[in-house]
Amino acid sequence: MDAYLVAILTIAGIYVILALALNLQFGLTGLVNFGVVGFFGLGAYASGIATESFHAPFIGGLAVAMATGALAGAALALLCLRLSGDFLAIVTLGFAETVRLIFNNEDWLTGGPKGLLIMTRPVLADFGRTANAWMVLGVVLTGAVLTLALMLRLAGTPYGRVLRAIREDELVPATLGKNVFVYRLQSFVIGSMLMAAAGSLYAHYVQTITPDNFTTPVAILVWMSVIVGGPGNMLGAVVGALAVVTIYEGSRFLTPWLGFLDAEQVSALRFIVIGTALILVIRFRPEGLLPEPRHTPVVPATRRPALKG
Amino acid sequence: MDLTRRLFLTGSTLTVAAPALLRYGLAQSEPIKVGSLVPLSGGGGPYGPEKAQAHKAVVELVNKQGGVLGRQIVLVSENSETNPEAAVRAARKMIDADRVCAILGTWASSETLGIMPLCQEANVVQIFTGSSDTLPNGDKKGLCYNLQPLNKAWCVALADLAAKRGELKIAFAGPKNDFAASMGDSFSKALEKVGGKIVGEPLYYNPNQVSYRAEAERLINTGAPALFLAGYVTDLTPVYRELVRGGYKGKVFALSFAVGPQFKQAVGTAADGILHGSPVPPVGKDTYDAYLSLVGLKPNGQVQNPYGCAAYDEMNLLLLGIASARSTEGPKIAEHIMKVANGPGERVTTFAQGAKLLAEGKSINYDGASSSADFLPNGMLKSRDFALYEIQGDKDVLLTTTTSEAEQ
Repeated sequence: MDAYLVAILTIAGIYVILALALNLQFGLTGLVNFGVVGFFGLGAYASGIATESFHAPFIGGLAVAMATGALAGAALALLCLRLSGDFLAIVTLGFAETVRLIFNNEDWLTGGPKGLLIMTRPVLADFGRTANAWMVLGVVLTGAVLTLALMLRLAGTPYGRVLRAIREDELVPATLGKNVFVYRLQSFVIGSMLMAAAGSLYAHYVQTITPDNFTTPVAILVWMSVIVGGPGNMLGAVVGALAVVTIYEGSRFLTPWLGFLDAEQVSALRFIVIGTALILVIRFRPEGLLPEPRHTPVVPATRRPALKG
Repeated sequence: MDLTRRLFLTGSTLTVAAPALLRYGLAQSEPIKVGSLVPLSGGGGPYGPEKAQAHKAVVELVNKQGGVLGRQIVLVSENSETNPEAAVRAARKMIDADRVCAILGTWASSETLGIMPLCQEANVVQIFTGSSDTLPNGDKKGLCYNLQPLNKAWCVALADLAAKRGELKIAFAGPKNDFAASMGDSFSKALEKVGGKIVGEPLYYNPNQVSYRAEAERLINTGAPALFLAGYVTDLTPVYRELVRGGYKGKVFALSFAVGPQFKQAVGTAADGILHGSPVPPVGKDTYDAYLSLVGLKPNGQVQNPYGCAAYDEMNLLLLGIASARSTEGPKIAEHIMKVANGPGERVTTFAQGAKLLAEGKSINYDGASSSADFLPNGMLKSRDFALYEIQGDKDVLLTTTTSEAEQ
């Protein structure tokens, strides 16, 4: 059982990184990125190709993945960041789909539908199955904690304040002399880079990646993590990701008590539970489990002309 | 009673050893856990439920008869969603939380390959149905058994039919997935062997496209007198419609599971003349009928539950393997599955028959519901029956049944 908990925590750690990255883009800056899984997949494949075809060590693969994610994020952002709201959502969704089709069709590079078998593992040496699992968990959790620290720092600085201002109304920071486009670009690129890093960790954890691993449902789970946890609150994204993974995986253990349902119905029930939870959160707690702390503006004391006499 | 030194020593030794003895004793009576990981949604959704049902039926029957080695079987069922990502998460739960000794039932080659590294690492046996020619490559420990012929075998049967019909120039098209891609390679090899040739490049299209007109036009422009369309019903239907609209007059070869009632309803009389084939259970054989009656179906001379009968064999083979190995360790079970499946030994068709003979110290040869269940050294199926049909006026007319042998 503890081995299973290690596996779930590893997956949860990867989702935490994805949720934090999306929270930077959507929660703080208000960029609707439905292409999460595209960057996730790019990172996974870039890392896999670097380590398997070019024999780079795991760290090298991770670096290549982050560089690829950042470059792809920058390219996409330069093309379409001037689009706002729904339009950006559609373009990013299209991007993710395009990336998946490239994985599926460029056999010479990605192995096509057969996928890529990854033998490089983020472990020091092969100490057996249990020790390896713990080491991989350690690497993933380190990544998640580092990402969380970075995000908390970013959100607390004046930089984070500008991002939030852009989210609320981009005209206001623009009138204050902030280059709104550059801020949005940076937020998008950092987020994409982190998503690709999560992809790299994922690839070396599961060891087989195929284009089918990177379909939109993954992006939906990440979106749910952010929305359930509380957009704009970094700890909220962590809580949200943990909650979503717990519901998703925990519902498996209900099976023994649901003998009157067959396996097909139980698996459908899992999606019903998740869907219902999402609806309930949006209906009764739209700000998420951990809402964004309110930044009450400092109201300047009203100046009254002193009345004489 | 005086507490002598001897009594004290015996007593304390027993007390200290009790937990270990108990654990050993409990392990011998603990239920054996077996994983059933089948696609209940996604592309394999139409076939997963019959596989799950077959696994369950065999386990219930065996438990009623007293279990395996005196231990009950507990079936752990999960949905693979026909998606390797979901399959891997489900497999982790089965391996680490439930501690299953085998995972049966994966359908799409991508899910089978996806969970293979996990199963290899944890010494878990995999028995599945899959056709991709790459399946044997990842099995370094000899833990895998496949009850479906690989594409190589499948294509030999279809190429033979094409040659018999005088169709030696055939263009190939299929969706871009592992199954169709390796089918394209194998079909062109099989066709060359019978003196034919693939016209042009094999054409792979992306599944779930909105329109397939461009693909159909390209196929028509090759001028090929015949086409082999290795698609599923979801993409074959629109491709075929576009071909008919474009005025294609040549022969069309397809795979039986793609041209079922749903396809015939969608294209109507235009389906006439399509030749199709696929591996089939041995209709009319005692083993197949025994499977059908176990799951509550009546043998009617037609192919029913083409994957359910394979799942029935998956479970029987595993349980016989455990009974023969007298162990639940993966590598040992895998070694003994080969023995009970290939023989030599007395022919058995159910677990109960086999277990009885094994207990008497005799060797057995399991004869299955989907095939005779004999394997090559790499765990892939040796041979299976193929049926070739032609659609005539809304009906599948059986042309011939052959047994195709897999190449080494």
